[in-house]
Amino acid sequence: MTSLRARILKLALLISVAALPLSAHVGSPDVFFEGSAGPYHLFVTIRVPQVIPGVAEIEVRSESRDVRSIQIVPLRLTGQGSNLAPTPDLAKQSKDDPQFFTGNLWLMESGALQVRIMADGAKGQGEISVPVPSFAQRVLPMEKPLEWTLLFLTIFLAVGIISIVGAGAREAKLDPGKPLPQANKRHAQIIMIATAIAVIGALFLGRSWWGLEDSDYQRDVDHYKPPAAETKLENGNRLIIRASGLDTTWNGRIDLSKLIPDHEHLMHLFLIGIPGMDRMWHLHPNPTPDGAFAENLPNMPAGRYQLYADIVDRRGFPWTLVGEADLPQISNGVPLSGDDSSWSGSPLASAAGNQTVAPLADGGRIVWNVPPGPLQSNVAMDFKFTVQDQSGKPAQDVQTYMGMAGHAEFVRSDFTVFAHVHPAGSVSMAALDLAQAGLPGAISSPQDSNLQGMAMSMPMPNSSASIPPEVSFPYGFPQPGDYRIFVQIKRAGRIQTAVFDAHVQ
Amino acid sequence: MAESLAHPLQSRAAALDSALARSIPWYIWFCVIAVLSGVFGAVWDISWHESIGRDTFWTPAHMLIYLCGVLAGLSCGYLILSITFQNNSPLRDSGVTMWGVRGPLGAFICCWGAAAMITSAPFDNWWHNAYGLDVKIISPPHVLLALGMMGIRFGTVMLVLAEMNRSVGAYRMRLERLFLFVFLFLIATTVGMSQEYTNRVFMHGSRFYLVIMLTAPIWIAAVSRASQSRWAATIMTGLYTAMHLGFCWILPLFPAHPKLGPVYQSVTHLVPPDFPVLVIVPAFVFDVLRRPASAMNKWAQSALLGAAFFLSFVAAQWPFANFLMSPASHNAIFVANNYPYFVPATSRWVMNMFVATESSNAQFLTWMTIALAVAVLMTRLGLAWGEWMRRIRR
Repeated sequence: MTSLRARILKLALLISVAALPLSAHVGSPDVFFEGSAGPYHLFVTIRVPQVIPGVAEIEVRSESRDVRSIQIVPLRLTGQGSNLAPTPDLAKQSKDDPQFFTGNLWLMESGALQVRIMADGAKGQGEISVPVPSFAQRVLPMEKPLEWTLLFLTIFLAVGIISIVGAGAREAKLDPGKPLPQANKRHAQIIMIATAIAVIGALFLGRSWWGLEDSDYQRDVDHYKPPAAETKLENGNRLIIRASGLDTTWNGRIDLSKLIPDHEHLMHLFLIGIPGMDRMWHLHPNPTPDGAFAENLPNMPAGRYQLYADIVDRRGFPWTLVGEADLPQISNGVPLSGDDSSWSGSPLASAAGNQTVAPLADGGRIVWNVPPGPLQSNVAMDFKFTVQDQSGKPAQDVQTYMGMAGHAEFVRSDFTVFAHVHPAGSVSMAALDLAQAGLPGAISSPQDSNLQGMAMSMPMPNSSASIPPEVSFPYGFPQPGDYRIFVQIKRAGRIQTAVFDAHVQ
Repeated sequence: MAESLAHPLQSRAAALDSALARSIPWYIWFCVIAVLSGVFGAVWDISWHESIGRDTFWTPAHMLIYLCGVLAGLSCGYLILSITFQNNSPLRDSGVTMWGVRGPLGAFICCWGAAAMITSAPFDNWWHNAYGLDVKIISPPHVLLALGMMGIRFGTVMLVLAEMNRSVGAYRMRLERLFLFVFLFLIATTVGMSQEYTNRVFMHGSRFYLVIMLTAPIWIAAVSRASQSRWAATIMTGLYTAMHLGFCWILPLFPAHPKLGPVYQSVTHLVPPDFPVLVIVPAFVFDVLRRPASAMNKWAQSALLGAAFFLSFVAAQWPFANFLMSPASHNAIFVANNYPYFVPATSRWVMNMFVATESSNAQFLTWMTIALAVAVLMTRLGLAWGEWMRRIRR
């Protein structure tokens, strides 16, 4: 019985929870970016609209005081529409804070877009492009007062047109001053009844049409929701991942066989223990010939795991497959290698304060330089961390990890928010590459912008060279709650993870 | 003899003086200005959205559209109230009564149109918030706005008609001309609203002809019945074509650049509407045939005139569509090389390729037959409605 149960557990189809009520890129649609536009280092926040076409709010902060003006313009990320730009908008410079600029841009289409930012100042001009996943997130419900107002006006118009038709049938053909014959009244009543039926029919058709438009729009919203990850365990340790529930009639749907690599891997898979996030694996499955992805799992305890799989489609649109998996004990696992990593520790604490120091497996630690005061949702922040060695001094052996100074995953306690963030921000690195490649006379390698604190024109250090022990991640919590932040760096050839718990108001 | 000759001449001169002295009422002119304001505003607004994209509540095009509703609503509202509350109003006897107030039927229709336009404003605003800024012409709030503008146009036609049908002589002739002028805006509304289905890429498909048969013959038949002019349909569609060409040729004179992205077409000036569909051809055929057909019963007339309308339109528009698809039409006269900024280069429109709206020849023939039947039916409806319009007095 035990054997049968084990087989069932091992071979069972481990189906994800489909249609989670999350928006794409899992509950964190706004874009946070840090990079250099020529000589100017900029921090950019793009608050995407709830509906498309809609207005995105753009915030740009310059690190230096010598930026005089910022212009912003939206384009498609690739293909048609990525070459011709509309007239740029001039961002408004704050009077109180001259290094802060704000502007609004209409995002007219769903899909992979970019916002090009042109800075002008004492050091000349600089340009950078920030990829923006544009998608409608919801349909706005109608508020009751407006609903009642429109209902009243509709009734008024309906009764009005019936009355006008009646008045016309009754009197319009009479010569001026001629008395109204009784027959005309009866005739008018019949006409009014017929008109009323026609008006009711027209209103019914109009309502049906509205319903169709609403369904079409809702379908667009659904298209961009995180796809459900369907998982299956084979041979006791081989995890197969497929995207399920895709609308096969939609041209823009994900094709797992046509992805572009995002910082060296086609898929970044995160398995996080449920409910306390006391275990985490960051793995990199490979594509299979039949259009799925597969990963030979390491040894893992049995349990329920939240699954996030980051991919980027060939247009540069980032997707996150979301699901849950009940996994059996895996004892024939494959040792971690390459860029794969794991962490285990205490479960997420519903902390009143924020944890600022986290130990590393090698005895070192990472210190979070938390700004004073409580953490606020919907506020763009620079999450700054310092890697220290066993003696508490800044570590001298920090290396790039998948081409970057570090990786951070922000996960809300209920798993409704997941963001895989880099020193360049919440944008996909693959999309960032595409965006920079489209700049006229590309000024630097896009990968350079991933290295916070380094000039973009500097050559990228090789993976064994030491880099500064400070790493920062531009991001903003999308909603209040308890979050766990996994910060991953590489020291002396070993990938290490530090975990911070944060309470956001 | 000299006296006998002098009398008719004097009499005619006096009649002319009288006609000239009698001026068209102020409220008709207000409504005509409102209609023109709405037409110019709508065409400008569509071009604005195709060229510049971004707008505000206060764009000049929007102002003209609002002016349409305000001018028609206020002038007709004032007219109705003044007739209702002034017992000695000369228009009291030529009004109809509704909800306890009295006025010309056209004035009530104009007020309804203004109310529909007002209703569409919060509806449209909510629609943009709920579903995003629409880039489609045909959406429920836009249709309500169009119904409102249509109401004002129709109400204006009714005001002119009632005045015209109560008049004789030169004054009537002046009103006839005004009637043909304001009537063209009715066909402009229905054909204009359906422009998403009448693009040149669809001109070799049955749906295009079905849409035109649904939107054009009813006006042609109605105007020819309501007017005493022998060439009413030709004049009306001629005015429509001339006005449309005016928009085609004047709008590109103004520079414009997209302010929304992504941009797929390089736009340097206001994008004009497409070259007008050739409804003037079947309208002329209609005018030629309707006198010989007048002895027939109404359904036979409708069958003849509707079929003639359909066939002559197909005969004219089908080969003309080939021309519109050719480089020869890519010039300032036929404006076939003007595309909105949001049309991708891979669009059939830009690639000058026809789009089949049916999957087989049999389906095409079926729908063309349906279009022919619709032409006959709409002609019959138009004749009946034109007959009703002939008798409007109030």
